[in-house]
Amino acid sequence: MNSLDLNKNSHEIRKLMLESLRPKESHHIGCSFSIVDILTYLYFKELKVDQKNPKSQERDIFLLSKGHAGLALYATLCQKGFFPQELMKTYDQDGFHMPEHASTMVPGVELSTGSLGHALPVGIGFATSFKNDNKKNRIFVLLSDGELDEGSNWEGFMFAGHHHLDNLTVIIDKNGLQGYAETKKVLDLSPLKKKIESFGWEVKKCDGHDFGSLKTVFKQRQSLNKPRMIIAKTIKGKGVPYFEGRFDSHYKSVDEKTKQEILNKFIKL
Amino acid sequence: MRTAIIEEVYKIMKENKDSYFLTGDLGYNTLEKIEKDFGNRFINIGVAEQNMIGIASGLALTGKKVFCYSIIPFLTMRCFEQIRNDICYHDLDVTLLGSGSGLTYGILGSTHFALEDLAILRPLPNMTIFSPADEIDAQLGVRASKNFHHPLYIRIDLREKAKIHKQPYDFKFGKGVVIQKGKDLVFFVTGTLMEEVIKATKIIKEEKGLTSTIIDIHTIKPLDIDLILKEVEGKEMVFTVEEHGIIGGLGAAISEILSESKKPVRVIRIGTIDKFVKVIGTRSYLRKQLGLDTEGIVKKVRQELL
Repeated sequence: MNSLDLNKNSHEIRKLMLESLRPKESHHIGCSFSIVDILTYLYFKELKVDQKNPKSQERDIFLLSKGHAGLALYATLCQKGFFPQELMKTYDQDGFHMPEHASTMVPGVELSTGSLGHALPVGIGFATSFKNDNKKNRIFVLLSDGELDEGSNWEGFMFAGHHHLDNLTVIIDKNGLQGYAETKKVLDLSPLKKKIESFGWEVKKCDGHDFGSLKTVFKQRQSLNKPRMIIAKTIKGKGVPYFEGRFDSHYKSVDEKTKQEILNKFIKL
Repeated sequence: MRTAIIEEVYKIMKENKDSYFLTGDLGYNTLEKIEKDFGNRFINIGVAEQNMIGIASGLALTGKKVFCYSIIPFLTMRCFEQIRNDICYHDLDVTLLGSGSGLTYGILGSTHFALEDLAILRPLPNMTIFSPADEIDAQLGVRASKNFHHPLYIRIDLREKAKIHKQPYDFKFGKGVVIQKGKDLVFFVTGTLMEEVIKATKIIKEEKGLTSTIIDIHTIKPLDIDLILKEVEGKEMVFTVEEHGIIGGLGAAISEILSESKKPVRVIRIGTIDKFVKVIGTRSYLRKQLGLDTEGIVKKVRQELL
């Protein structure tokens, strides 16, 4: 699959996401769009998964630690063929089972998340189990940059480095904005690369919206025996001009009229 | 009791090659055999309980049976949300082995006491809470956990010689056990305070000529509602006894059941009150100070019988 196909898929995923928004109710929009290209790359290029057999014993495991971006994960799984598009219409809808925060009630989702700082330790459990059993499955955990404030992640970074979990990859969605303000302003993470490297990890940086850049970092693994972090620079709301770079896209919902306007503009992009 | 529990866990791990034992850097002089014999199935996670519960969940999601060990407050309170979201929501095969029920750690002070653990774990869906009264309870409970594949909390007392049951019995999680039958009073008890209650009922019999039924409620959740409703029949009042706060534990659980039943019965909860224990002392000293020793329990019953 070349970049053109990846672009096509990520465009379809974004469209699905916009269509699925529940007017006046759905939140966490911007932070969902910032990870679409990363998810597209993972599910269409990197992960060994079988949409026809979601529980395949040979599959790679993907965990979305920033569970508030469930919409992006659902739409990616849908685009990949884990479930029919019809199900996306139930997103955030009363009486159905597709909540805003990522849930295992949706086919293909490996872990229900929503509170930050949970998925890395769980991913380490998967990684430990597979390593001890000499299995080849790999584990990918996507965290947000703001989420790194949670101490549990640092417990995990220490453990994974100490135990040389080289089947584990953490991807940081570095969109630079968190709950109340810019990440730099709240708790500056820099120099993140150096910090994580000092924990015994291999760390690479890339552009989280450029498939060429993503491919380069995912394919070039230098050090064996180390867990890996990929810091992907992203833009909140990426791909939808209405939301792009907007802090309030984390919280604000849109009404039906605005939704249709956004969607019409997006389709013409 | 801890030795008996760890020995039973050892047996399960010997048989089940898909089992793991995690510790939050505790268990010195207790876990060495498990560490030595099970290689990479024993992991000292470090002093990092959130990570431990997360890792346990990841292991369980790959089909492993996982035991997690630490001192109760660190194991249940520090990482409560991991227990809720990761273990319980996903209904995983993880057993929490909490060391030091109630005032077990005595002179170590309040940080190490477990007087709120039942109250915080009880509301968690999918959680089973096991609080043995003696080594036989403990052994039978751990044995039963072999074929149990859901979240389980075991409240471990460090008292090694507690002897209540004379021999192994037909054990089931959620089934209370009649320790003695009487006509007048009823005591629902959990944990090793059982010893004190048995002694207390002897004194009450001598003093007042009243005989008591004592029930071992080793499973706080699910509660043996049928047995409780049966035993309170025709009684004006019943007593609950636990080395735990009166808020949220066994007494509270039984009160909840009885307040919605049609039984006109008062529930007298004996446990610790809504205050941090600031006085220092050994466990037996503290039990006495807090009215949880034999004499304290007798005194409480006398007051209620007036």
